[in-house]
Amino acid sequence: MADLGRSALLIAFGLIAYALIAGSYAAWKRRRRLALSAQNALIAAFPAVLIAALVLLLALGRRDLTFVYVWQHTSHKLPLGYALSAFWGGQEGSLLLWLLVLTGYAGLAVWLNRRSRELMAWVVPVFALIAGFFAFMLCFVSSPFHMQPAPADGQGMVPSLQNPYMLAHPPLLYLGYVGLAVPFAFAMGALLSGRTDERWIVATRRWTLAAWTFLGVGQLIGAHWAYVEIGWGGYYAWDPVENAALMPWLAATAFLHSVMIQEKRGMLKVWNMVLVALAFNLSLFGTFLTRSGVIDSIHSFAKSPIGGWFLAFLGLMIVFSIVLIYWRLPLLRTKTRLESLVSREATFLYNNLLLVALALTILWGVLYPILSEAVRGETRSVSKPYYDFFLHTFGLPLLLLMGIGPLVAWRRASLRSLGKTFLIPFAAAVMTGVALLALGFGSSWPGLLAYTFAAFVAASIVLEFVRGRRAAGSLTRLVSRNRRRYGGYIVHAAVLLLAIGIAGSSAYQTVRQRVLRPGQSVEAAGYTLTYLGSNGIRGPNYTGFRSAVAVSGHGERFTLHPGMNNYAIEGPATEASIYHDPRSIGDVFTSAQVVNANRGTIDLKVEVKPLINLIWVAGFVFVAGALIAMWPDAVEQKRLAARYAAGAVPAGL
Amino acid sequence: MEWALALAAVLAVVAVVFVARPFLRDPAPASDRLDELAPEARQRLALAEERDRALAALKELEFDHRTGKVSNDDYRAQVGPLRRRAAEALRALERGEGITHERVTAPEERAGR
Amino acid sequence: MIALSVAAALAVFIVYTALAGNGVAQLRPSSLVGHSGDVTLVGAVVGPVTGDAYSHGGLRFRLKDIGSATPARVAVDYRGSVPDLFKVGRHVVVEGTLRNGVFVAKPGSLVTKCPSKYTPAKSSNT
Repeated sequence: MADLGRSALLIAFGLIAYALIAGSYAAWKRRRRLALSAQNALIAAFPAVLIAALVLLLALGRRDLTFVYVWQHTSHKLPLGYALSAFWGGQEGSLLLWLLVLTGYAGLAVWLNRRSRELMAWVVPVFALIAGFFAFMLCFVSSPFHMQPAPADGQGMVPSLQNPYMLAHPPLLYLGYVGLAVPFAFAMGALLSGRTDERWIVATRRWTLAAWTFLGVGQLIGAHWAYVEIGWGGYYAWDPVENAALMPWLAATAFLHSVMIQEKRGMLKVWNMVLVALAFNLSLFGTFLTRSGVIDSIHSFAKSPIGGWFLAFLGLMIVFSIVLIYWRLPLLRTKTRLESLVSREATFLYNNLLLVALALTILWGVLYPILSEAVRGETRSVSKPYYDFFLHTFGLPLLLLMGIGPLVAWRRASLRSLGKTFLIPFAAAVMTGVALLALGFGSSWPGLLAYTFAAFVAASIVLEFVRGRRAAGSLTRLVSRNRRRYGGYIVHAAVLLLAIGIAGSSAYQTVRQRVLRPGQSVEAAGYTLTYLGSNGIRGPNYTGFRSAVAVSGHGERFTLHPGMNNYAIEGPATEASIYHDPRSIGDVFTSAQVVNANRGTIDLKVEVKPLINLIWVAGFVFVAGALIAMWPDAVEQKRLAARYAAGAVPAGL
Repeated sequence: MEWALALAAVLAVVAVVFVARPFLRDPAPASDRLDELAPEARQRLALAEERDRALAALKELEFDHRTGKVSNDDYRAQVGPLRRRAAEALRALERGEGITHERVTAPEERAGR
Repeated sequence: MIALSVAAALAVFIVYTALAGNGVAQLRPSSLVGHSGDVTLVGAVVGPVTGDAYSHGGLRFRLKDIGSATPARVAVDYRGSVPDLFKVGRHVVVEGTLRNGVFVAKPGSLVTKCPSKYTPAKSSNT
């Protein structure tokens, strides 16, 4: 069966190579049938890759340990769902997932846009170039189909991955990462074909939005998993692997905003090209980061089989993007200028600068250890204070801009009309700020600013809906006639919830850690936690302990059971116990380690985190807003179709 | 696993046929030239986008005015130029359409006749 | 052009701030010798692991350089909470001071790096 998998991958590689070579030649020499043939090859690659993927899935499901990959990532006792999720648990499998999603997206995107033959002629080879790398790696460097004589049992899966969230997190992230390849391929295709119109933007708008949503939700799920499963009490540690997903997401956010300017005013064409290339290359870099050991040390990266290849490919794509943009610079330049520094275009521009600055800051933080080792021979790294500083410096103004942007008109806004529209949100912010100061929230100035700005943004969003509803007659009519705008406002509301949740749970949290004997207590943020005792527990593939901690305070009483699971093959895992407090929309988070089993002493860590659950709620609001913004509009579709159909001149007429 | 290899062989054959399809369906076409947007058509597309942009801007200005975001003075100041821009784009488009009606074929093909 | 100049200014700002000492030295066992004072040590755990992080004697293990075969080993004396993934072969980060040839760790500062399950599974255990 591994033979089938290997052959399928080889066939896919052949098809993709053909799509690249024949496709480029056909686009260059303007050969219609050859271009169509290349297009077919690209589309056909997906079923081939799918077959290879199914072979691997089947092997995982059957726990076929003759497959080295299956042996490395599963064991006989591992439940089926998790065994299947081991598909993306290792390097080879995740490369295969990348290729699967890429060929799926590419085939679909190209087929949906098959009538734009001139553009597709170039988009096909760009897709093939990207897919070609992954196919090459899978066939010749890092194959998931290495075989061996079957050992007794597999190496098992790290227990913290045996969690429902881990079934969703990687696939969602991949749907996002790979999704950014679609606007990239269309953008580069547009540059190669010399087309300067908006076709590529119109064609990929929903793709970009979908990819961006997947990437955002994937990260939120990952953060939630880290919080409940890893049990260190936080949800984001600025680890390179986490930053790997955040950076492209920030770039994509900037891109989503600036294409709006290109659509409305016809400007920023060069900037948009740069942004889409940045987003895609960051996405590649992110994959590379998590797939090679490059951040551990430059030495371990060199030893990793795919490290060098990945770096070379990333370098190739960066050079490719830069060369193409530079070559077409004269075509992209427009005469339209920013009319006023006080206009919606300007606020979008500031938003872009801040987002890109934040992304680059994070990139610098990620690269710093490697660069300092290369330059100074000594690895230095940056940590939380660095990231927090820039998150505040760039993130807080971004938050405020989210409230300012919608209030400012396009082109030019007079200060007088600004004064009028700003009045209520400004008043809301001031009142909130003063009230919070009085209540003692001044202990953290970033937290206070975050809350104050949030009040401004909340007021501005509510006003938009209220005023809009008055103008449109009803809420449904308002939203359905302005899906992009109001869907966008809902997404902003989600970001607002996220910001409040993050501010509350970090700036205003209380942490206590104490070694306790049964009967002893610890105080935290008005709660008294009394340790009652622990007992041993047993599960299907683990043993462990659970403690009982009685909590009282703020008129509530509940019991928490932090403990540890000890997996036979894979080792220990913290099992945190969390109480969701409706009063503060926050959590009381506890984790414990055994200090002395005979005396029953434990090391208890308590974190009281107000408002943290807003972060997860934000995820749902985020998806709702994105869906509304993406919702197809029949009238608009018809108008766009007419615009582009009229432009095509059929050959031979 | 013979069946696996047989399946792979079938897959390969299907793939080759699918890839060769454009050549098999159309062995001797009148023209194998890839559609290309003539310069006039590109110009027309740019004008269409300009027209749509102007019309959308007008619509948004109206909406912003109705919701009170744009004051009466600002509205009066901006609506005139925007309407003019939209009218210009529409006129240019109509003129352009007239031209391309006559020159529908690409220059090389006309020269070949 | 405004955009580019502002971006450039931001870039300068970031580079400056990052270089201005926000970096924390992460030393490897092979480069630890001679450093006094508080440092951060990063390495791969090497057996035998003895003792208990909560008992009087503390948890004792050794660290070697990640990814290279230098013979340098540093003995670590640790107290406090131990992360789940800690075991021989793991890459860990720990803060502390080198005293009389033993790295005395700051209590509770032991952290494992995000699982290196993506790098080749073979890790030498000496």
